[in-house]
Amino acid sequence: MKRHGAGSLVFLSLVLLFMYLPIFVVVIYSFNDNPSRIPTAFTGWTTQWYAQLFTGRGGYADALWLSLRVALWSVAASCVVGTLGAVGMARKAGRASKLDSVMETGLTLPIMIPEIILGLAFMVVFNALGLRGNDLRLVLAHTTFCIPYVFLNVKSRLVGMDASVFDAARDLGASPARVLRDITLPLISPAIFSGAFLALAMSLDDFVISFFVYGVGEGTLPIKIYSSVKVGVSTQVNALCTLIIAAVFTIAALSRYAGALRRARQRRLNPGPNAVPAAARH
Amino acid sequence: MDATKRDQRFSWLLKLPVYLWTLAFVFVALLYVLGLSFLSRGEVIGVGGEWTLDNYARLGDPSYLRVLMQSLRLAVVTTLICAAVGYPFGYLTARLGRTARSVVLLLLIVPFWTNALIRIYGWRILLMSNGPLNNLLLALGSISEPLKLLYTDGAVLLGMVYALVPFMILPAFSTVDKLDFSVVEAARDLGAGPLYAFLTVTVPLTLSGLAAGCVLVFIPSMGLFFLNDLLGGSKTVLAGGLIQQLINSRDLPMASALSVLMLSITGAVIVVYRRLGGTSDMMF
Amino acid sequence: MKKWIAMVMCLLLALPLGAVAEEEKVVNILSWVGYIDDITLAAFEQETGIKVVWSPMDSIDNMLLKVTQGGGAEYDLILSSDYSLDILRKAGLLQKLDKEKLTNYDNLNPRFLSQTYDPDNEYVIPYVAGSPLIIYDPQKVPFEITGYADLWNEALVDSVAVMDNSRIICGIALKTMGKSFNETDPEVLAQMQEVLMPLYQNIRTFGDIESYTAVTTGEASVGFLFTSHLYMVQMDHPEFKVVYPKEGLGYGIDGFVIPQGAAHPDNAHTLLNYLMRPEVAAHNAETQYYMNVNSAAADYLSAIYLDSEVLNIPAETLEDAEFIEDVGETTDLYNQIYTAFKNQ
Repeated sequence: MKRHGAGSLVFLSLVLLFMYLPIFVVVIYSFNDNPSRIPTAFTGWTTQWYAQLFTGRGGYADALWLSLRVALWSVAASCVVGTLGAVGMARKAGRASKLDSVMETGLTLPIMIPEIILGLAFMVVFNALGLRGNDLRLVLAHTTFCIPYVFLNVKSRLVGMDASVFDAARDLGASPARVLRDITLPLISPAIFSGAFLALAMSLDDFVISFFVYGVGEGTLPIKIYSSVKVGVSTQVNALCTLIIAAVFTIAALSRYAGALRRARQRRLNPGPNAVPAAARH
Repeated sequence: MDATKRDQRFSWLLKLPVYLWTLAFVFVALLYVLGLSFLSRGEVIGVGGEWTLDNYARLGDPSYLRVLMQSLRLAVVTTLICAAVGYPFGYLTARLGRTARSVVLLLLIVPFWTNALIRIYGWRILLMSNGPLNNLLLALGSISEPLKLLYTDGAVLLGMVYALVPFMILPAFSTVDKLDFSVVEAARDLGAGPLYAFLTVTVPLTLSGLAAGCVLVFIPSMGLFFLNDLLGGSKTVLAGGLIQQLINSRDLPMASALSVLMLSITGAVIVVYRRLGGTSDMMF
Repeated sequence: MKKWIAMVMCLLLALPLGAVAEEEKVVNILSWVGYIDDITLAAFEQETGIKVVWSPMDSIDNMLLKVTQGGGAEYDLILSSDYSLDILRKAGLLQKLDKEKLTNYDNLNPRFLSQTYDPDNEYVIPYVAGSPLIIYDPQKVPFEITGYADLWNEALVDSVAVMDNSRIICGIALKTMGKSFNETDPEVLAQMQEVLMPLYQNIRTFGDIESYTAVTTGEASVGFLFTSHLYMVQMDHPEFKVVYPKEGLGYGIDGFVIPQGAAHPDNAHTLLNYLMRPEVAAHNAETQYYMNVNSAAADYLSAIYLDSEVLNIPAETLEDAEFIEDVGETTDLYNQIYTAFKNQ
């Protein structure tokens, strides 16, 4: 299974390098002591941008916090709605009903409608419904454009999956809910995660739609960053992005380390065949 | 058949939330855009009270049609490059060991959790005529004068692929991952060469992932224009940019009409794709 | 990996969705982030106890769309540019200022009052002003630039950076023909298209911030830029030359208005009055790199500020400078021409 030639490893590394080229610039420039409002030249090293990051009005803590909150709620909601929908629609393979295909087209529309128009439509609809509260409005809007990413990923995984597994379980008397929980969900979980990854990226990056549904206040991180362009996007934002990347990597490394420790302990406690499924479960 | 009925009721239950959500938010938004596109523009701003087909008629202007053609071309080229890079990447990642693949996927996606504008600023610094890339090439002696990399079509394409390739990789990865490789091995045992087995067994079986990737790349690339502004110096007008330009000149109805037209084009591409694909086994 | 993601998700989901608590002593501003600097805002809050809540916008046009389509009810002050204020006024979305409460009003320079967007000075408090100018690197440009027409010069192929605005770019072509920025005659505009087309080969990049970046990094040798960007380029490159185009200048004033239905109009007046204090106004002009509109503030401006030809355009040069005004249906024609210009 793991017969990888050097060629394919080089290919993977090159693509990853390509993804990280601008990130290196962001990291390096977060230490740039060029005081210009839109720095383009690197003039020397400083850590002042990190110090200013979370202090005072110019800080980004509130905006980051709002962005994270909205993103996680929206991703969670879109995972539930999108996954259930994809499973529900995929059940009768080969015979998609008219209604299903209309709905399927409908639910993917949010990634086709130009953002500015969608944002405006959301604003008008929310206002008409009397929906107040920035968080609620943002989560509803974000969930709507996150659903397609989860749905499409899950559905492409379900398509062509061997249905006999589900049928066998049903024949053995398992309830549909049980089949969903014990068989379907574990099988499609990689696709749910792929979808969630993309949805999270979209939510954390959305400016236009958020701008329109948002009311009074500083706004999400993208709102704050994009609206700084007239005066100049601060170098602080580079520092913030560097911290986000560092945080994600730290959490990932720690959880990996914790996982390895736990597995090692389990292996010590019950040696023998039991150790194998315990490790394979992750 | 009691069990079938129960299954049906259950799948309805599963579908219900997404149906309701789509009805409540997407179709309402769609109706709003459609409605706006048939209204006259307001005297100062907003919309006037008269129903008209004028907005669509005005879209017939050749300069606007060229905008659509240019957007379509860029979207197709972007999708092709993303497929060429993203599908093999997803495939190779799915064939890595458990640890390695989760590391690769994490590495791939983490940059996208930071701000897009900032990453594009990073590219701009890299591509400047006195930027690192040109300096490197000058130092290596492969060029004698800095290349003009920034504000070119190539820079736009680079930015588009950079921004959208994960949308190809992840669906490709998750379909290859579910593939039962004993089928491929069976083909190999029957004497198929590795490339032949890949093309005739693996690719057809993972086509749904490739298709999902193409849709996820193609659709946003029709509307993306800030890369064209930042890396291409907005030297061409793309459809998304034209909508913004119409908004800027306070012609909301015409911006809506253009949105409806763009929706129809993306819709048509998907329908054609579905027809060509034939079966409902395909994603779209 | 799945596990830690799930854990983080659970943790964050356990947190409630917060709602912003209503406060009495608040003023809500809608504008670009940073358009009044943090020092001024903090000093104001300290002195008056009124909290300033800044709601960001990224562009005038998106702001207009949002406010006019029913999204503007919650703001107490909007800070934006001349033509957009005119549109808000015409749409009946503004309330009149209470001059009784604006004791510092007389500090304002009359040159920046009674403009087309507010002829009777009922709605707008000007904040800063500016005029887009040409700036170039004399080392790289082999001749002296004196006006817009020089941007068409064949020596400047692929080296001019300009702002991305159909009306301004079409406008400079009109200016070279001796016409107005606000021309509406379709025949004149058709001629303008012919004049405009060849400019394309000289353009290195379009865009407001893009042009600034291109000029200051040497990516482009000539720029047609907004005031604050001109000033920033000059900080990096004092040797660059600034040109008052001989065909006539464009002009812009940014100002404050109070929208209809604002919840805290008194606080808005208090802030406006504070901003018109001479020393505060001087500080704002200096930190925003725009022309000062407050006569009383002149005494507080630094020598560096007063030395800048970008920030101190002579009154006689500005005399016949033109605002970009709304041209109604003709906008469509401008759009078509500009689109054809870019996609040739």
